[in-house]
Formats: sequence, C-alpha cells, structure tokens
Amino acid sequence: MSSDHIQPRRKRSRDWTPALLLSPAFLVLIFVVLVPLLFSLYTSFTNYRLIRPETLYDWIGIRNYQRIFSDKHFWSAFGRTIVFLTIALNLEFILGLGIALLINRITWGQRTLRTIMMFPMMFSPILVGYQFKFIFNDNIGILNNALQDLGLSDGAIAWLVDKPLGMFTIIFAEVWMSTSVFAILLLAGLFAMPRDPLEAAKVDGCNPWQVFRHITLPFLMPFAFIAMTIRSLDVARAYDIVDVMTGGGPAGRTELLWTMIARVGYDNSRMGQANAMAYVSIMLSIAFTYYFFTKLIAARKYMGGAE
Amino acid sequence: MKFTTMKALTTGVALSLLATGGAVAQDYGSFEGYTLRVKLIGGAQYEPLYAEIARWEEMTGATVDVLSRKNHFELDREIKQDIAAGTLNWCVGSNHTSFAPQYGSIYIDLNGVIAEDVLAGFQTLALENSTVAGRLVQLPRHSDISNLFYQKSLYEDQDNMDAFEAEYGYALTPPETWDQFRDQAMFFANAPTFYGTQYVGKDEAITGRFYELLVANGGALFDEDWNPTFNSEAGVQSVQWFKDLYDANAVPAGVLNYLWDDTGLGFASGTVALNLDWAGWASFFNDPENSQVAGNIGLVRAPTGSAGLRSGWSGSHTFSITSTCDNVDAAASFVSFLTSHENQMVEARKGLLPTRGSVWDAVIAEFEAEGNEFMVEVFETYALSMAEDAFTPPLIPEWIEVSNEIWPRLQGAILGEMTIQEALDEAADATRIIMEDAGYN
Repeated sequence: MSSDHIQPRRKRSRDWTPALLLSPAFLVLIFVVLVPLLFSLYTSFTNYRLIRPETLYDWIGIRNYQRIFSDKHFWSAFGRTIVFLTIALNLEFILGLGIALLINRITWGQRTLRTIMMFPMMFSPILVGYQFKFIFNDNIGILNNALQDLGLSDGAIAWLVDKPLGMFTIIFAEVWMSTSVFAILLLAGLFAMPRDPLEAAKVDGCNPWQVFRHITLPFLMPFAFIAMTIRSLDVARAYDIVDVMTGGGPAGRTELLWTMIARVGYDNSRMGQANAMAYVSIMLSIAFTYYFFTKLIAARKYMGGAE
Repeated sequence: MKFTTMKALTTGVALSLLATGGAVAQDYGSFEGYTLRVKLIGGAQYEPLYAEIARWEEMTGATVDVLSRKNHFELDREIKQDIAAGTLNWCVGSNHTSFAPQYGSIYIDLNGVIAEDVLAGFQTLALENSTVAGRLVQLPRHSDISNLFYQKSLYEDQDNMDAFEAEYGYALTPPETWDQFRDQAMFFANAPTFYGTQYVGKDEAITGRFYELLVANGGALFDEDWNPTFNSEAGVQSVQWFKDLYDANAVPAGVLNYLWDDTGLGFASGTVALNLDWAGWASFFNDPENSQVAGNIGLVRAPTGSAGLRSGWSGSHTFSITSTCDNVDAAASFVSFLTSHENQMVEARKGLLPTRGSVWDAVIAEFEAEGNEFMVEVFETYALSMAEDAFTPPLIPEWIEVSNEIWPRLQGAILGEMTIQEALDEAADATRIIMEDAGYN
C-alpha cells in the first residue's frame, strides 16, 4: 500500500480524535444537564401533576406561565428573592473581605483560623436551619432569653414571624453559613497579590486607606465577582434553611421562589406550574450571572488582565 | 357536601370487645429470607410501635427494611416523587385518611387481602373513612381528635376565681364554649413568661383548626356543589378567635410558626394554661420526668361554637400496601400485625386512640387496674368526643392543595396584613380555581 493512501486515513482519524476524546464529556452533559432541562421546560407547558403521571402529555401551551405572571404572590416571592440575594451577597462580601484582610495580617495560627473559618460551610443547610430556628425561637430561644436576662427586652421578640425580622433571620443564617466562601476566595486573592505595587504606593506616601482603596480592592474585585457569581447561583435557589426556619411564612413574609416552587410542585403536585416558576428563577440566575461576569471582565480589564 | 361523621364509633367502643374477643394469637405466616421494604411515619409518639417490628421478623423469618421514617408532610413529598419517578419499589407505607385520596390507585384494595375476621375487629366508621372510591386503601392504625387539656391548679386558685368573675361576669370553670376558651386564655396570659393558650399556626394544621371551628360555628368549607363557602360570617367569626388571642398576646408571639411538637412541648413546659391537643400527648404530659404539669392536668371535651356544635376535626393514621408490592401476603401480614389488638394496646398505653373497639375497653380496664385515673379520664373523654363530635375534612384528592391556599391567608388575617373577610375571599377564589381545574364545577 502506498503512502498516498495511508496519509488521508491518518488525517481523517486525527480529525476525529478531539471529538472522540470530548464525546464522553458531551454525552454526560447531554444526559445529565440538557435532557433534564429540556424535559422540565416541556413539562412547564403541560398540566403535569406529580401524582398523575398520565398528565405529562396534557399540553396546555403557555397557561402555566400566564397563571404565574398574573399571580401577585409569585411576583412578591420573585421580588423578595432579589432583595434576599442582594442583601445576602453584599453582606457576605463585606464580612468576607473584612475576615480575609484580618486573617491575612496574622502571622501565627493562620492555617488553624482558616480551617475554623470554614466550619459553617461544613454543616448541612438543614442543620443550620434548625440551629437558627432554635436560637430565634420567641419562647424558648437562646436569643430572647439572653435579651430578657440582660434586661435588654421585656417581651418575646417574634424573630421568625415579624415582617422585617423574619427576612433578617433567614438572611442572618444564610450569611453565617456562607460568608467563608467569600473570605476564602478573597484570601486567595490576597495571597496572590504582588507586593511591588503596595510597597511602591507606601514609598510614594499613600496612607493605608489609599493603598486599600486604589490597589488592594481593585486587585481583589475579580475574586469577589467570581465568589458573587458562585454564591448568587446558590442563594437564588435558597430553600433548605428557609424551609426549616419559616417555611416561607408566616403569610408569605419570607416566601422565596424556591419555597413557593417546592410547595406548588410537591405539596400541590402541580409540577408543570412549578417548572414554569423554576424557569423564571433560572432566568433570574442567568441575569445575575451575566451581570457579575460583565463586572468581572471590567474588573480584570481595569487591572490590565485578559478580557 | 358530605362531612363524614364518626358517631358510630361509640357503638364500636362499647361492643366490639365482645365481637372480637380481645387479643387473639394470630398466625402471621412464614416469609423466610424475604425483605419487606417499608416507608413509615416517624416521630416520638410513633416509635414505640416500631420497636415491636422485631417480633414480626422473628415470627415470620422476614426482614423489614425501613427506607424512610419522616414526618407525614415529608413522607408525602417522597411518595409523590416515587409516583412520578415510577420508583414504588416498596410494599408498605404509612398513610393518613386526609392524604390518601390524592394517591389514586398506587395502593391496593385491602378487601379480600386482609381476612374478613381481621377487618371485623376494626371500628366500622374507621374503615369507612379509610375507604376511597369504594376501595379500602388503608388499614387504620390510630385515630386523632383534639380535646382541651388545662392546668388544674389555675382553676382551683381562689384569687383567680374572684378576679376572673369580676372581670368577665361568670364563674371560672374549664371552658365549655370557644368564647369562654378565648376569655380564659386572655385572663391567664402574662407574656412573655406565661400564655393563655397556643395554636398550631401553619400548614394543614391551622387549616384543620380553622375548619373545625368553622363547623362548630355553623359554617362549612363547601356547599353541595363544591363551591367554597368558608368566607361566610361563620368563617370570619372563626378567624377572629385566632386573631383576638394573637393581638392580646395570649399566645406566644411565634405561634404562627408552630406545629404539633411546639404546642405539646409548650404545654409540658408549664408555661401555657390551656392546650387543645390530641390524646397522643397524654402520658407525656403526666410524666414528671418530661413535664412540668404532671399531676396538675385537667381535661374537658373540645368547646362548642356559636352553633352549639363541638369542634371535632378528626382522622386516622393508617398503613397501605402498594400495587407494585412483590409480596402482598407478607405486606398484609405486616400491616395486620402492626394494627393487631396487642400492638394497638402498645400505642393506647401512650394515649393514642385505637381503631379497634376491643382495645378501648381493654386499655381503660388496664388503667383502672393500675389506678391511673388520669389516663382513664383521657380515654373516657376521647371516646365520647370520637363518638359524638368527630368529623373528617372532605376526603377528596384536592384537600391538601385547598389547605395550602387557605392557611397563608389565615396567617395574613391574623397578622393584620388584610382584613379577615379579604383573606377568606381571596382563599375562596383560589380554592374555586382548584375545584374548577379538578372538574368539580
């Protein structure tokens, strides 16, 4: 056989090699991500009731979407989810930044502190929910008893029921559990930070605030936006903590999209309608992710990094 | 609409001991090497029965694999996921008369599967309420209705008696009406250290309480054509009761986040004067190791509403066998064992209300022999309320969904976010859509 015949065959097999090597990853993505996504998208256009599998083929067009878009309780939960996300992410960022800066200054026991700092992340969200449900319980909770014993309160504060306090408690629990995500990523940023610009700034007479504001913070922002992207996806689908602490109540005061989706999908068995809600929630997550990626690119550009 | 009553239970209580002859040794068969997969309701009061499972395993040679042991709301979600995913690869599940209608045909008809002589031992109406569309889809384990526990010493205190009469104009005796219940709860309350009463404040729990008060006040959830009618004057009057107590700080501030464990443990902590609750707590309340009110508990039947009817929301915890079960004989043997006279006695000793008439008489006789007057009073009081006051919620698949539309609005009204009438109107509109979607009207 001549080399003229062998060459194109080798070339053809070389052409297929990347596709073949990538195919397991693509197959996994198709079956684990794409197919379930398309399936749930399809069900959002059906009257799919969880307890009646035959309703999976009951096509009702955009009725589920019409129903949720005209439901004021859905829009309240949607708005509350955005508020929850915004406050939780900003608090986690500020607290995480503070913790990272403090730990970065420590020269002895830093590794131990880093480990301790990650403890809250190691708990299951359900356990965290029960822990804070007990702490904030109006009657037997530690917090109210402490406040009463210290003479700071003479009544039982309804932490889990009161309108602003209910949201405060679930945000508090969420922030307690996940601030360390920000702290760890920002600490990694601080470790990676070159010393030269800091020393040059000090030589040029910058005070500590100016160094932080114009050098440290811009350098850390790409890390912060990566943390925000990850956490926004987490917080936007917050469910466990809220379900345990308040169940979205009372009177929907702490109802977020996913507590509502779970109730509609599982308790009411209206999985078609729940999936329509879930798709709106996904759009919200995509919007947040897009926003944070835009900010990430801008921050990297500002620092002279790749776009 | 038809509200199923349980009035026939009295007859069952009185006569079925004679019919069944009490505890009879039963052959549960042999299923050597077989593993029975089950999903059971969990919780402190349900557990003593499960300690008996080892005896069934020993008698039959089978092994029981408990796949789940969760509260009923979580178990309900899991079962619905199993239906959707086609993973009903287990045989026996805990069920409840209020939940059963929504599960369609996943559970088999036990008529013909459980021997007739075994079924004959159960109270007729408990079996009727376990029947959905003519199929006996569940075997009743124990029943549930609420009566009013109170701290006796509060009613024996002369200062309390004088002050109450001066303020409310009638003598301080345990409440006979829901209005008196409200007056006395407000009178005893001294927040944040002591409360007049408490109520379950969310989920189907508060819907059920509202429902029974609605009936006691002469209202109804639906008319005969399944149009919602709970936004009536009786409905407003019923919600007003919850709101008045909340506004007066006569209940704990966090009560709208409370469920059954919170109210039971609250009464046992000694910080609550009156507690409308099921009998399952009775022995716990009177146990000095667990309860601050042990030896100081009085009990009266649930109060009457403005229509002169007593509240009596009731239902039964049950066991069902799946249609996909690979060994129906073993499953039938297992549920028969768990609901046997002997095992219902295990639960009745804790205060859970049996569904076999023979057990009522046997357990009362046992408590009398022990000189346990409190538990005798508990069973006699609950026997009366099961016989004369009990009614179930509508046994329709849409009940839980309807309940999920009602309770957030009840909370909204209690918290003053909307008027009671607005809240009930909104819940009625949402309920109407559910019923229309389901083809009722």
